[in-house]
Amino acid sequence: MSDWDIIIQEWPRFANGFLNSVVLFVASTIGAFVLGGLMVNGLRSSRSIVRRAFHFYVDGLRMLPFLIFVYLLYYGLPSFGIKLDAWTAGLLGLVIYHSAYVAEILRGSWDQLPNGQSESAQACGFYGIKMFRRIILPQLILNTAPILGNQLIYMLKDTAFLMIITVQELTYAASSVQSMYFVPLQPFIIAIALYWAVSLLIEGLVALVHRTAKERGFGQT
Amino acid sequence: MARPDSDPVLKALNITKSFGALQVLHGVSLEINSGKTVSILGPSGSGKSTLLRCINWLERPNSGEIYLDGEPVGRHPNGELMSDRELAAIRARMGKVFQSFNLWPHFTVLENVIEAPVQVLGVPKAQAIEQAEQLLQKVGLQDKRDVYPYSLSGGQKQRVAIARALAMSPRVMLFDEPTSALDPELVGEVLAVMRDLTREGMTMLVVTHEMAFARDVSDEVIFMDQGEIVEQTTPDRFFSNPETRRAQQFLARYQ
Amino acid sequence: MTADGFQMLLEGAWITVWISLLAIALGVPLGLLFSLIRVSRLPVLSQIITLYVSVGRATPLITLVLFLFVALPAIGLDIDKYTASVLTLTLNTASFNTEIWRSTYLSFPKSQIEAAQAMGMTRGLYFRRIMLPQMFYTALPALLNEMTFLIKASPAIAVVGIVDLTRVTNRIASQTYEPLPPIIIAGVIYMLSIGSLVRLQRVLEDRRKRYASA
Repeated sequence: MSDWDIIIQEWPRFANGFLNSVVLFVASTIGAFVLGGLMVNGLRSSRSIVRRAFHFYVDGLRMLPFLIFVYLLYYGLPSFGIKLDAWTAGLLGLVIYHSAYVAEILRGSWDQLPNGQSESAQACGFYGIKMFRRIILPQLILNTAPILGNQLIYMLKDTAFLMIITVQELTYAASSVQSMYFVPLQPFIIAIALYWAVSLLIEGLVALVHRTAKERGFGQT
Repeated sequence: MARPDSDPVLKALNITKSFGALQVLHGVSLEINSGKTVSILGPSGSGKSTLLRCINWLERPNSGEIYLDGEPVGRHPNGELMSDRELAAIRARMGKVFQSFNLWPHFTVLENVIEAPVQVLGVPKAQAIEQAEQLLQKVGLQDKRDVYPYSLSGGQKQRVAIARALAMSPRVMLFDEPTSALDPELVGEVLAVMRDLTREGMTMLVVTHEMAFARDVSDEVIFMDQGEIVEQTTPDRFFSNPETRRAQQFLARYQ
Repeated sequence: MTADGFQMLLEGAWITVWISLLAIALGVPLGLLFSLIRVSRLPVLSQIITLYVSVGRATPLITLVLFLFVALPAIGLDIDKYTASVLTLTLNTASFNTEIWRSTYLSFPKSQIEAAQAMGMTRGLYFRRIMLPQMFYTALPALLNEMTFLIKASPAIAVVGIVDLTRVTNRIASQTYEPLPPIIIAGVIYMLSIGSLVRLQRVLEDRRKRYASA
């Protein structure tokens, strides 16, 4: 049986690992954007104590390696009697960790947004969450598409760290096929190709958003 | 190389230049004799700066010939393009002063001035420093030798740029609107340095909007409009009695 | 936590530090070289670099280090886990640095080059004396930023059996049965080192803005 035959025979394992990676990635993207979108309001709070607390938290998280944060959740929380399974700890880790980056990216963009945007929205009767969701957030995302795209790629890559706490994602699948059959090259080549394909997809989407943004005249001030 | 005064130091013949469909120079010719100062005037977009850029081949002309001391610039007599090295050797003999100064921000004032003499001409460093100090004194900035360009005013930057160009002992100095980027109160100090150079017999080609400088200092005035030379005469004649309608309109606007 | 535990943490930190530093020292000039190949548009080579950057950006370090650690011996290149780790981090960071150097090169002000040309400098000379030093200052904040990402991704090398600052927390916990203290201390060490790089980056950014006007 050739190496490639093994890969074909073990294809379900790859498919399953890839599916898990994609599910983790998509779920954590949604979670990180929701949480990041909420936190950006804290980063820009008019109360300086709130603002400083959020900055401290966001900057602190951004100085930690993702894996050590996952360790904290997976190995550390049981000390407080909170025991998470690997999947939950991994997903929670991705969401919380990356929401800090998302919040910071959105804050940078919001700081540059003219004040008139909120004021004119308020003048039209928008306020609170609705104003943020309908008026502010879409502009922030259009303005920062390329940077957010980079962050998505980091998020995708960080899913691979979760194999260390035994989440059965794509790299875990490649690694187990590799060690079961002693096939040195193919499993990881396939894994890398799949990660690359997803990143190309992300870049394609970003380019699309970026083009839309340009067509609507963003980034020309 | 000493040459009789009658031979032009710089000669441009029939220079044409287009950017895409837009022709900016329609066959421009000029000559400058040793020790003379020639001012080029004209409305913006008339091709003055492009002409200057073509002369030291920062812009490659579409056709025409340029000679420095009788030697071709940019192309060999057989039409072949000069190599990077050959071009550099010729450019080293022409000083150029830019509208936006273009000092090198990672070097101090002194380092800006000695960089090309040491690296291009191979002048020993000690000698280059000595010469640079003299030049900085001449432009009135000897006390700024060890500061970085960012801390200088625009007028000071431009004076350093002049010293930097002079450090190559050029045959001719090309000035491309040297005072246009300056605040009005800083224009005078740069023009004063340029006046001194004229008096010392430097050969200069000056693109400028400073009418007083052109009238008082230059030996000859060239008026350009729409990519061609419209008038070429003495400053007295040009300013008191311009011949063409285009020159009259131009002067009416600037005076 | 015991004194023994501290000792182990420091050893783990040291491994993270020297492997990261080596990868940075190799990855920064390598990125410059690759970026120059790309902007020179050398046929074939520049396409290979483009592909390398695109794949390199997208590949998790953990996948890459496993791949290199297993694949290279299989094609006859015997490497140990340390070489595989340095190689992985270098290849990864160089792909990001290539893009940083490339955009720095492409945004280099043309007026600076013209001033050099007008003074009679040849291409090689002005690249070395005028462009490179300025490009370095311009790129430094972004390079530092990439260094922080490299350090944050470095725990990946644990999968080939290296006991770095992250992995060592497991080792300590297996002796003390108290996982939290070593993880927190390791986290603080990471924050201090990455925090100082971030601070340096801000200082340099301010200075660069000041120097920029000449």
